[in-house]
Amino acid sequence: MPNSFSPKVRALLLIFGVVLAFVGCRRDPVDPPATPGPPSANGFDPAQGPLPTLSAYGYFTGALKDLQARPDVLPYDVINPLFSDYAKKLRHVWMPAGTHATWNGEDRVLDFPNGAVLLKTFYYDQVQPSMQRRIVETRMMYRWEDEWHFANYVWNSAQDEAFLDLDGSFTAIAWTDDQGTQRQVDYRIPAGPECRACHRTDNQPMPIGPKPRNMDHSYAYPEGSQGQLQRWVQQGYLDPAHPPVAEVLPDWKDANVSLGDRVRAYVDINCGHCHAQGSYCDYRPMRFAWHETADPVNLGLCVAPHDQIAPGVSHIVAAGRPDRSMMAHRVASTAVDVRMPLLGRTLVHEEGLQLIETWIASLDPPCP
Amino acid sequence: MKNIVTLLAFASLGSAAFAQGDCASALPINLGLTVVPVINGMPPIPTCVGNPASNGLWYRYTATEDQALQISTSLPVNVGLDTRFHVYSGSCAALSCIGGDDDSGSGYLSIATVSLTAGNSYYIAFDNFWSSTGFTVELSLGTPPPPPPDNYPTFTSQTLTSGSVWAIVDMNGDHRDDAVRVSASSVFIHEQQANGTFSVVTVPTPPALHQPSWSLAAGDIDGNGWNDLMYGGGQGVSFMLRSNDGNSFTHIPFTQYIFSQRTNMVDINNDGLLDAFVCHDVDANVHFLNMGNGQLQFIQGGLGETCGNYGSLWTDVNNDGLVDLFVAKCGCDPVDIMMENHGYQNFISTAVANQMADSHQSWSAAWGDFDNDGDMDVLIGSSSSSYHKLMRNDGNGNFTNVTAGSGFEGFNGTSIEWTTHDFDNDGNLDIMGGGRIMMGYGDMTFGARPGSVSNGPVGDLNNDGFLDYMNSGTAYMNNGNDNHWVKVHTVGTISNTNGIGARVVVTTASGTRIREVRSGDGFRFMSSLTTHFGLGQDTQIEEITVYWPSGIVQTISNPAIDQTLVVVESTSTSIAETVNVDALTIHPNPVRDQLNLTATQDITGAPFRVIDAAGKLVLGGRIAGNTIDVSMLQAGAYTIQVLDQQEPMLQRFVKQ
Repeated sequence: MPNSFSPKVRALLLIFGVVLAFVGCRRDPVDPPATPGPPSANGFDPAQGPLPTLSAYGYFTGALKDLQARPDVLPYDVINPLFSDYAKKLRHVWMPAGTHATWNGEDRVLDFPNGAVLLKTFYYDQVQPSMQRRIVETRMMYRWEDEWHFANYVWNSAQDEAFLDLDGSFTAIAWTDDQGTQRQVDYRIPAGPECRACHRTDNQPMPIGPKPRNMDHSYAYPEGSQGQLQRWVQQGYLDPAHPPVAEVLPDWKDANVSLGDRVRAYVDINCGHCHAQGSYCDYRPMRFAWHETADPVNLGLCVAPHDQIAPGVSHIVAAGRPDRSMMAHRVASTAVDVRMPLLGRTLVHEEGLQLIETWIASLDPPCP
Repeated sequence: MKNIVTLLAFASLGSAAFAQGDCASALPINLGLTVVPVINGMPPIPTCVGNPASNGLWYRYTATEDQALQISTSLPVNVGLDTRFHVYSGSCAALSCIGGDDDSGSGYLSIATVSLTAGNSYYIAFDNFWSSTGFTVELSLGTPPPPPPDNYPTFTSQTLTSGSVWAIVDMNGDHRDDAVRVSASSVFIHEQQANGTFSVVTVPTPPALHQPSWSLAAGDIDGNGWNDLMYGGGQGVSFMLRSNDGNSFTHIPFTQYIFSQRTNMVDINNDGLLDAFVCHDVDANVHFLNMGNGQLQFIQGGLGETCGNYGSLWTDVNNDGLVDLFVAKCGCDPVDIMMENHGYQNFISTAVANQMADSHQSWSAAWGDFDNDGDMDVLIGSSSSSYHKLMRNDGNGNFTNVTAGSGFEGFNGTSIEWTTHDFDNDGNLDIMGGGRIMMGYGDMTFGARPGSVSNGPVGDLNNDGFLDYMNSGTAYMNNGNDNHWVKVHTVGTISNTNGIGARVVVTTASGTRIREVRSGDGFRFMSSLTTHFGLGQDTQIEEITVYWPSGIVQTISNPAIDQTLVVVESTSTSIAETVNVDALTIHPNPVRDQLNLTATQDITGAPFRVIDAAGKLVLGGRIAGNTIDVSMLQAGAYTIQVLDQQEPMLQRFVKQ
């Protein structure tokens, strides 16, 4: 299981899944209507803006904190998620009946129909003092009039409701991670404009994770594992005419994958959205998307940095010398103006840093 | 923990016990090759290059004659190694950096040449910042470095603190610049003493909601005589207002989300109260209007509506006495902003007309009078390419791109910081950025000073009239030359207390130089609020004129050179006596909406300003179509000044 919700939830998901499978089998592929109809059975009208509470959408049944998604709200994940201060995440997608996403190339985010909703719930387990799960926020992107819009729902302490809040805030969390390590974070819940910094391509808001290349793996649905893209088609959420993914992203944590490819997979999801043409930091020379990093120069290998941010940092990646490399220096930093990624983390991702340092150390020095 | 302490004690005992383990036991070293063993002694302090290391090895070299000594690890035998060294004069109790190097050799090897005086001993310390591995060093008599042309400034580094200094600004009202660093709960002020030393004053603050992670600005927001601080944080802005006794700060946090970049303090609405401005990286810019009752009003919009705002600078572009706004932009919507301030918070975009509406991926721009013709020119320096743009202010509302042949054409240095100051006191503004000081020649051309620099706050940390700068906790003290100088410290009475926005003009035999009092230049640091003028070899000042934001013009005749002049804003002087009242006619008078101007010469494009009966500057801009819209003025008597370059013109009128 990609997440550890209660057996009861699993059972419910199983039931829904069976219903879904049945519905999915019966449904003939249809073209999305030219103008979307009422987007949601429960009354969410994107034209009117986001609803004041998460529960109002009716996406989840039962106790809200159990996040028991109704049958047409499909959980999904990505092969490589962005590091977000060790928060766990649960993703859901919903689309208006009769609409589906279409293929836009395996390294690009799917083209979602108007009315589509992406939900990402951030939570921590074993949170002090009660050592219970604490759900912090549910971020939402919804597509309307061919544009993506943001909403965010901040959970209350009773964990029975989450309220629309795009003002941004901090909340202190202390927890014990799955390895038993005590951790704490002053967790950042983003403000609306903060979302746009990273979720932006060519000045248009854009999701980051749901690219076919980063989704084409098996997901443990309650009724059994199934390829995600297959399931999306079966759900009616993806154009069945899509081509196969030629190059699926490796899991960066997979020790059987070469060090170089693990790094490429890691920077693809953690760095590629800003260091891409038309994005937040496209004026720096790095290009971190998987399809661009086959050329190590795009990773910054032996490329001098534009700005001398620390004495002695000679290259973005100085072959054989993590201590001389801007990439390692910034990934190791928690300083607000130095750390990379700049937004979305305040802690060092120790495993990610170790990967990058090991990789840089493995490269044959020197840079010319 | 106890074990660790014990281990450390043994380690330090050990290191002191062998020769060359510290300065006192430095081994003599001679010309030729010397094998340096594993580096395991006491670290070099102060560091002459980079950040402190944990270990070092020490050598002593005695010069038998005046000589240039080349110290090099850049030898074939060292290929693949990584070295760093520091060179000192003085005694072990008082080491003074005279050189050092990290990576000037091949790969990560080091090479530097230092000038030595016969009979003196010098210390060479290698450190393990990058590697403890031993290597071979070669000392040889090198070619003396050519004497620096044009009195190029040189600096001596001095470690002030282990923290990061964000500001060089007078914090205690003694007109000497102090060094300021901050934490979440304190402001640390390294107060400059009369004898050149620093005394650290720690003033507690309430916990800062936002720390100055991106920038810091200073100025006296509440007018109590103590400079306050503005913290530009990643999620918002906090103000720290210093108390009347100086012993504490009041925290004014703003919870609204701002991805702060450059912060400034400036009187945006020219009401005599200092306001504040912050560039927003991902949304419309924000300013804070000072309501005069201790309240700052958060306002978003009107001064740049889109994202990608990095380097704001407030300067009087059109010489009308009102500060205008320039924003260097980058990333999202990277087209620079330029807005002329026409008074009454009426800001008009002139970026297109002035050929400023293009993209440099710039985080800051350096505004100064690079050709000493009385108006502000600009170097918009790139953060990511050699597309730097040098624009000459032609004084008539036009700018001309003079990058070609200026020294910035093809200059491949890049940085997020670009500031301008006169570092060699020759009277010509220099530009710090792109890893260099580009020495200004006073004619819109520049040449790179040898030696790399990293930008930091700029001010006069030893009150010698030569500008110093800092990086992190290290001060780079200007060694000076025989040029003369004057500094002008403005104290506003009708204008804001600091006189921020004032234009100061110094006239000597060799010409006229202008500077402005600015809070916040470059990208992130806060540099001195005292204006500084190099005078070259001139030994007399004819006059100093201060154009206050209030509209008051104040002239001091024949002040002494080589001093800091404190000018307190006074209503007792005025420009009125010196202007030509016959050259300009106006009608109708009294006037309701449109004031028509007729002049004996073409005044199209000339700056004008309107001053009320109380002497307050209320309206400004450039003349277009020989009419001025005065419909927004309250009824009363006014003076209009047309600031033609030849001769200022003046008329009085009544608004109905």
